[in-house]
Amino acid sequence: MRSKRSKATLPDVQHRRPIQIHVDGRPVEAYEGETVAAALLAAGIRTFRLSRKNKEPRGIFCGMGVCFECLVTIDGVHDLQACLTGVAEGMQVETCRELGL
Amino acid sequence: MSETFELAVIGAGPAGMEAAIAASEKGVRTVIIDGLPREGGQYYRKPPAALALPRTTGVEREGSLLSERLAGTRAVQIFNALAWGVFKNEEGEGYSVGLYGSDAPKWVHVRTLVIASGAYDTSVAFPGWTLPGVITSGAALILAKSQRVAPGQRALVAGSGPLLLPAAACLIKAGVELAGVYESTRLFPKGIRYAPILLGQWQRMREAVQYLSLLARTRVPYRTGWSILEARGSEQVEEALVAKVDPSGVPLEGSVRTERVDTVVCGFGLTPNTGLARMIGCKMEYQPNKGGWVPLRDPMLETSQRGVYAAGDGAGIGGAECARLEGRLAGTAVAVRTGHLGGAEAVRALGRITPRLARARRYGEMFGELFPPKPGWSSLGRAETLLCRCEDVSLKDIRAAIADGARTIGEVKMITRVGMGNCQGRMCERPVAGAILQALGPQGASPDSVGMYSIRPPLYPLPIGFFAEAGPDEPEPAGGAPDGFLSKTDT
Repeated sequence: MRSKRSKATLPDVQHRRPIQIHVDGRPVEAYEGETVAAALLAAGIRTFRLSRKNKEPRGIFCGMGVCFECLVTIDGVHDLQACLTGVAEGMQVETCRELGL
Repeated sequence: MSETFELAVIGAGPAGMEAAIAASEKGVRTVIIDGLPREGGQYYRKPPAALALPRTTGVEREGSLLSERLAGTRAVQIFNALAWGVFKNEEGEGYSVGLYGSDAPKWVHVRTLVIASGAYDTSVAFPGWTLPGVITSGAALILAKSQRVAPGQRALVAGSGPLLLPAAACLIKAGVELAGVYESTRLFPKGIRYAPILLGQWQRMREAVQYLSLLARTRVPYRTGWSILEARGSEQVEEALVAKVDPSGVPLEGSVRTERVDTVVCGFGLTPNTGLARMIGCKMEYQPNKGGWVPLRDPMLETSQRGVYAAGDGAGIGGAECARLEGRLAGTAVAVRTGHLGGAEAVRALGRITPRLARARRYGEMFGELFPPKPGWSSLGRAETLLCRCEDVSLKDIRAAIADGARTIGEVKMITRVGMGNCQGRMCERPVAGAILQALGPQGASPDSVGMYSIRPPLYPLPIGFFAEAGPDEPEPAGGAPDGFLSKTDT
């Protein structure tokens, strides 16, 4: 995971603190200050949710909280915007979570 | 959990910060509210402090200076707070702003408002635009610049307008291989007549030259008169098709090229974020060169609603310099209205702003005229292409609604549920309006006859239970309980 990270993250960053989050049960390395969306992309995860009706893969689109495409489940809370939510040590992120509605 | 101010500024980007500074320096009791964790908006967006980035560019220094000036005023700053609704008070003048955020009061009550809500990338619904790997130019800039994460390995940049160049440059600097920048507008010879406006904009021109020379050095082609046709892939983007287009943006046959890419960055210009202005009932007008529907304003930037001002890109795309000056003007106008500024001093303050604003507007309008939204963008979608990303409504569904007699975007919304999802129509309004215009244009339809979505509170999906918690002494939003919001249920 670490080698993948260093490739996706730009060299000028003097990151202060690497932290670990879990995405669908797998450990993923992230950095304090990153958004969940950035951490997922850096780990090579691009599908964040399935669309409501057609169940098609969707990922980050607008990146600024407008489009609501990047919704994930974080620590059990559904439909949070990955592009606006910062990572935290031990955070549990679930992608493509079916709400059973 | 409510507080009273003379002015609430909604949005802490270039326009909002200037408005808050101008007003509170004159003694107006001001609150400035933003959904981001810090001030700056998208233009002066700050990388998170924890990433400890070197800060060097001119724009970043400009933003830091503005932050310091804002911090030096008595304006109250509320961040991580969504302004989900604005309501006119029933007795007397003034408004109540509903906030959602962990550290925010539930309501602020104010006499005046400056809406400085900024803008977002204009949606163009080409086949495959919903695939993971297709992102907007705004997303590319945020990821690469303030998050320092490369959104992919090999990308293609397509669309129209001045934002394509910084987006391409930040991707190159992030180590992303670029297959090309495809600008759908042909800049020559049309662009030549704008040369005089560029004189005096040396800083911006130097930036443009720097971007273009970076493309040349890295051998990334910059093709004008080309458009994205389609993004393809099963689970994510695997390839993108581009083609030459005519001046109205319609693809020309026989010019299609396929590029193997994992990322498509699209930037078709900006659309003003006008949800709050519409919710309060501000009169709107359609101005294609300013990004679409914008609130009607008087010379002091007051909208048709008493005491509600609109400034910056959220009131019509004009660029950062224009946004700052509009913010300053609106903040000064509020100081006059609330009695903190008057007479010769007011005339002097306004006189310092207006000539500069006129120049900045001419510069902003040039981009609007050079890179107008093109009718051909509505011809890229196929029957099964989704126009509404939230509710999975396709072009075919929209056409069926039109065949059933729908003539306005409001009627199409009622029939198809388009625009009723989480984004409140911010993503699909342009493609849906474009599809209606395309179908009914021959029968005389115009942007005015097609209309726009009506916006009701809440502006964002809020958790169930949030409204139940509002105290008994708080005002009931006019029109009863908000509907259509999404639940964030705990498990």
